[in-house]
Amino acid sequence: MSVLTAPLGLLAALNTAVLRLGRTLAWMALGLMVLVILIQVVFRYVPFLDALPWPEEAARFMMLWMTGLIAPSAYRWGGFVAIDMVPRMLPVRIGMVLNLAILAVSLLVLIQGVRLGWADLTGLGGRFDTAALWVPVHIDYAWQGMLLPTDINFVAEPTKIARKYMMASLTLGLFLMALVNVELILRSLIKLVNPDAPVDADPDMIIAGAD
Amino acid sequence: MPVLLWFLPAFLVLLMLGMPVFFALLAAPGVLLVLDDQARMMATLYRNVYSGMDSFPLMALPFFMLAGELMNRGGITLRLVEFSQAIMGHLRGGLAHVNILSSILFAGLSGSAVADTSALGSTLIPAMEKNGYSRRFAAAVTAASSVIGPIIPPSGIMIIYAYVMGESVAALFLAGIVPGVMVGVGLMVMVRLLADRYDLPKAERVVHKDQEISAAENVVSFILLRINLGGVLFGLSLIFTGVLGVTLGGTGRWIAFAAFLVAAHFLLMALRARVSHDFRLTCKKAVVPLQTPIIILGGILVGVFTPTEASVIAVAYAILISFFILRSMKLRDLPAILTKSALGSSTVLLLVGAAVAFKTVVSLSHAPETLAGFILSLSENPYTLLFLINILLFIVGMFLDAGPAIIILGPILGPIFTDIGVHPVHFAIIMSVNLTVGLATPPMGLVLFVASSVSGERVETISKAILPFLAVEVLVIFLITYVPAISLTIPRLTGFIQ
Repeated sequence: MSVLTAPLGLLAALNTAVLRLGRTLAWMALGLMVLVILIQVVFRYVPFLDALPWPEEAARFMMLWMTGLIAPSAYRWGGFVAIDMVPRMLPVRIGMVLNLAILAVSLLVLIQGVRLGWADLTGLGGRFDTAALWVPVHIDYAWQGMLLPTDINFVAEPTKIARKYMMASLTLGLFLMALVNVELILRSLIKLVNPDAPVDADPDMIIAGAD
Repeated sequence: MPVLLWFLPAFLVLLMLGMPVFFALLAAPGVLLVLDDQARMMATLYRNVYSGMDSFPLMALPFFMLAGELMNRGGITLRLVEFSQAIMGHLRGGLAHVNILSSILFAGLSGSAVADTSALGSTLIPAMEKNGYSRRFAAAVTAASSVIGPIIPPSGIMIIYAYVMGESVAALFLAGIVPGVMVGVGLMVMVRLLADRYDLPKAERVVHKDQEISAAENVVSFILLRINLGGVLFGLSLIFTGVLGVTLGGTGRWIAFAAFLVAAHFLLMALRARVSHDFRLTCKKAVVPLQTPIIILGGILVGVFTPTEASVIAVAYAILISFFILRSMKLRDLPAILTKSALGSSTVLLLVGAAVAFKTVVSLSHAPETLAGFILSLSENPYTLLFLINILLFIVGMFLDAGPAIIILGPILGPIFTDIGVHPVHFAIIMSVNLTVGLATPPMGLVLFVASSVSGERVETISKAILPFLAVEVLVIFLITYVPAISLTIPRLTGFIQ
């Protein structure tokens, strides 16, 4: 049994720590998305200010990272929609075996996803730059004393952010989900061997619905 | 039969076996691509998951979710319930009516039935029980009325539909208003019919005593109420003068608006004398929260901002009132609210990405043509086909949540019905309303589960008690199906569809 519980303990601790960091970054990303789109609206309508080219792409950048960083938590907490009618109708042990099989197929999907994602990042698609995201080297304020930059003006040599930094969000998300999946497989195996094994729930768990 | 045609049966089998929809959407086409010797297409499948999520219009989803969450935590739900109680509490079956009216009002702030059930259920189910309603009835009314949430704008489901099908979010939002109100009114009629049969309690008009309102909110509500009423009168006058063929110039319009503001003020002052102080304050306290739908729809209608920007404005407004007017929230509450919204939206965004990838294989397989051929062979009459498709959607809704169902079936069914002359926005509403009602149908209804966890009543018991209300909702679905004007009039009048 300890062949299973020892790695589970390690992996669960790792997932708890990494996913907690992921959630923190994800809520910050959502907060920044709000801010960036508000800036977009303000700059479009306030006289003497020009519409900015970057907020939309910056917000998409953050939305993708928000998803990649927090979706593994949702997966760990059972937030992925599934129809569990058939597994629940089956005898308990058969239901457990079916659940294991489903987890195994899901793991294959995730591994394949990470593999393809990595190939994409390091391949042709990753070499392109984003359309409007620049690494700010120097920000010029058109009027002294204004709180917001009226135009982010790059005096030094501007560098565009490469698309691969945007694309990496999904790859990392799938990788973290694969880690969660392995944890879920270990938990199911332990439950299969010893149905009375104690289940330690994640203390951070939140339930969120979307529909 | 080509291998790829099996993608839909394979997907359904994986789904029924309990695989999460996200994985089933990718595993089914993935396996078939390998079997069909098209493994190279796997990279396209992956890229479509990514590009499916990388969308600006889709961003409205996390924002509306966040706005709803902020409103709920900021104590706005309670204000809406108190307002509804003051308006409808005195009717036979008063609290059931209050529950439904609160759902209609809450629908204008949030686009989610789950949020509606958990927010209103936790307040109203215990209150209804205390007043002599059975718990199962209270839970059933809450679950049945919460489906109004995604029908009246804003709506998460319609944002997904618009994105997947390339429709205008604004047109769908506007088209959902009347059907949503119809569901609400239908449910109220059913409550009235059931009132005698179940001897539902007759409540007094409930106005909470000793209401207080801050000076700042008092002033803001005073001004907003006049602008709202003046605006409505002004809008009606524009329609009226339009009918008469008279057009007002720029200055004329401003003068007319100012006149209507004054008229609104005197009208409200006349009303003021007829109601109690507490009733007045209860209504006044609902004014600030209820500006949200006005800002969202107003902004989109006037063309000031896109639906995504409107959703951000809704977030900013919710923050503004929760922090500065109601003072019901603190900075330290924000991380938990942002986390919950990010969590809820991340699963939907991944699902949308996976569904877009699934669509690439759908188009490779020629399945839509095969399916279209089959459906059109059943009948050539669009009305008969719409009847059949409603039954299919209802059955799908019994097992699958609205979001995933729309993502999977929309691209297959939408074009078939558009080809036989059904307006795309009309079909979008039929599909959205039908699948939204599916959220409250047994055996797999998301809001039934939430209502069960909020009330402590068993899902099976709520499922039985909800049947009369579902009958009303089915009736509304058929009305929407066979009277296109119900959904198309508002978007047509506002010029969002031809």
